[in-house]
Amino acid sequence: MTVTDIPDVPDIARMRRETGQKLRDAMARHGVDALVLIGNSKVSYATGVSWPLGDSGLAHVDRPVAVVLAGDPEPHLFMPFREGAGPGPELAAGHLHDPVYLEYDEGAELFAAQLAGLVPSGAVIAVDELTGAMRRLQHRLFPGGLVDAGRIVSAAKAVKTADEVACMRRALRITEEAIADVERAVAPGVRQVDLSGRFVRRAFELGATANVLDPIWQVMPPSRAEGVWTIHGDLALPLLTTERELVRGDVLWVDVSVSWGGYCSDFGRTWVVGQDPSPRQRAQFRRWTEITDAVHAVTRAGATGAELTKAAIEAHGDGTRPWVKHFYLGHGLGVDAAEMPFVGTDLGDQFDQSLVLEAGNILVLEPVVWEDGTGGYRAEEVMLITDDGYIMLSDYPYTPYGD
Amino acid sequence: MATEVRPDDRALRLGRRERALAQMKAHDLDVLVLGRTANVRYVTGAPTIWTAGTSSFGPACMLVRSTGSIHLLSTWDEGIPEDIPRENLFGLTWNPMNTIEVLRRVEGTAAARRVGTDAMSPAFAQVLPAAFPAAELVDGELAMRAARRIKTAEELAVLRQAVEVAETSLAKAVAELRPGVTEKELAGVLLEAAAAGGATIPADQDAAVVTSREHPWRRAGGDGRAAPGDLVAFTAGVVAHGYIAEAGRTHAVGGAVPAALAARCDRVWDRLLAACRPGAPASDLLDAYTGIGETLPPMPAARGLGLGFDPPVVTGGLPRTAAEERIEAGMVLALTGYVWEAGTGAVFRRDSVLVTDNGPELLTTAPVG
Repeated sequence: MTVTDIPDVPDIARMRRETGQKLRDAMARHGVDALVLIGNSKVSYATGVSWPLGDSGLAHVDRPVAVVLAGDPEPHLFMPFREGAGPGPELAAGHLHDPVYLEYDEGAELFAAQLAGLVPSGAVIAVDELTGAMRRLQHRLFPGGLVDAGRIVSAAKAVKTADEVACMRRALRITEEAIADVERAVAPGVRQVDLSGRFVRRAFELGATANVLDPIWQVMPPSRAEGVWTIHGDLALPLLTTERELVRGDVLWVDVSVSWGGYCSDFGRTWVVGQDPSPRQRAQFRRWTEITDAVHAVTRAGATGAELTKAAIEAHGDGTRPWVKHFYLGHGLGVDAAEMPFVGTDLGDQFDQSLVLEAGNILVLEPVVWEDGTGGYRAEEVMLITDDGYIMLSDYPYTPYGD
Repeated sequence: MATEVRPDDRALRLGRRERALAQMKAHDLDVLVLGRTANVRYVTGAPTIWTAGTSSFGPACMLVRSTGSIHLLSTWDEGIPEDIPRENLFGLTWNPMNTIEVLRRVEGTAAARRVGTDAMSPAFAQVLPAAFPAAELVDGELAMRAARRIKTAEELAVLRQAVEVAETSLAKAVAELRPGVTEKELAGVLLEAAAAGGATIPADQDAAVVTSREHPWRRAGGDGRAAPGDLVAFTAGVVAHGYIAEAGRTHAVGGAVPAALAARCDRVWDRLLAACRPGAPASDLLDAYTGIGETLPPMPAARGLGLGFDPPVVTGGLPRTAAEERIEAGMVLALTGYVWEAGTGAVFRRDSVLVTDNGPELLTTAPVG
């Protein structure tokens, strides 16, 4: 994929055709005849349908369900209606169904009857998750046993199509334009919740489908020791937003994410409230830049995760890993705000060595630099992996630390 | 909302935990392993980072009935109540066996006979038995649902606060309704107002819908712009202290909702409210529509509110469940009135209602358009 392959306006019908093919290819590799998907993002991936996601608690009862058959290019969708979440792209005749309520025994029974009409007997069915009612009815729903659909969907969605990238780029542009408005509003006396409100309003005005993360405006502590206690002694991140008022000199680690057409953006920056960064603080940013430059230099299809972590650690200078212990150097992005590939997790170096980047992967690079007394530096860059390197999808300055 | 991250008040969290432990006993569960955010909050009182939509099942909290001990997935102690000691916190991991190892070492897991989980994935179905070698793994959501369905006095107090924020944000959005405004702009106003009120977490982000004149429940489509005469349905769903409050109203662009359609909605709504009596079958809420010849709406006619969805969920899609379910004092319901007329559009109304021994108490007070 090159920049010119990414359309300005994604073709949703083509996207669904192509992602559907990937999904069915992955099903074939796993010997699976049908997928039953109940997780919101997996349904979105399998059907191309997006809706403004709600709170997880309500989402359990109001959830769309997808059924993908090996021999049918069109997915089946069981779609609930809340206030306006009508199906997006038109589905083929007979493929859009009334909602099913899988939290209830009656709902699981009704679904089992419908599923039996769609899936040939003896079919191998994979499912991503089971509600209690589905567990009680497991032998009727999945008479051929239980296969994990999570791995099949993960494998299919790791490499993006040009239309998927276009959706993500759109989500990123909305995020960045909204965040520019928020950055101008950052000042002593402003509350964290006011930044959240401003961001979400602007993102919706610009066309976001949904906000997918309670926005983070974390005020960093003067030192690791004075920060919130953690199980590993490293920094706590992300800490929740409150009505706390910002004060001059606060260093904020910002993290927000919205979706467009079912695909997520990711954005991270470090800001200083009401004043310019000091020379020591700028040095943190320079170190962060050296780390990302070093990682960029080795990033391309065929590189292993371990090559990236090695480059980051060497550029960090002190032999330690420049990211917080409970996260990673980088993660994928798509219908989920963090998905495969994960680079630098607690799965360890052996896993990173076995992880080979592919053209079409998305990698969100988010190294962290920390020195007591500076508030550190953290930012995120969304990259599309290509055969000879990467395409930077993020487009936002590193103000007030640099351009 | 405060200026620092705090756990839920002691009386709130202990009252809930007591109900959860009682239901563990009633359902004969030795251990509960919870992954759903609402259940984790219910048992622990600890707020967690919000992400939209469902998340995949994984153990985030474990409650052992014999000791009352709680182990919680949290890398830090901010917002963690003092009754969950630091040594009971465990971290995020990409290797599920690390979590299994944490659970396995907890007192009471080795001998547990029945372990409930609030959902299950094929992947965890493989590895969870290693933490509970002697146990049968069963559905734990039924026990949690039974605990959650009746609200404690402390829960009602925070629910009322959530309703207040929902109504304030609804009013702000309604005030912006004018020809040419888009659904998204209205949603932006509503969500910003909720955040300013301390509720940065939306229960629902589909905040404004131009209802269709052609289809009984699809949105009007097109560019989402409100035109004169359109009926626009507003929904404020906010999460405050973890609790969901909902309020919904319909307003006409540049005028009043046609009286005949409004009257139809009122008639349904009066019957919905009247059905909220202790002891009544939940199917009375469906009868509120069908009994006067109105079509059942595409969404549930009623749904319990609390930390997420709660029983009952009353929909035409679950007729047997509705007939078997009884309304009880202490339930909080979101009632939905919805009627549609070809060529005009839909009138939608949603209210949060508390069922008391003396009948329904309306928690929402927003004017009807």
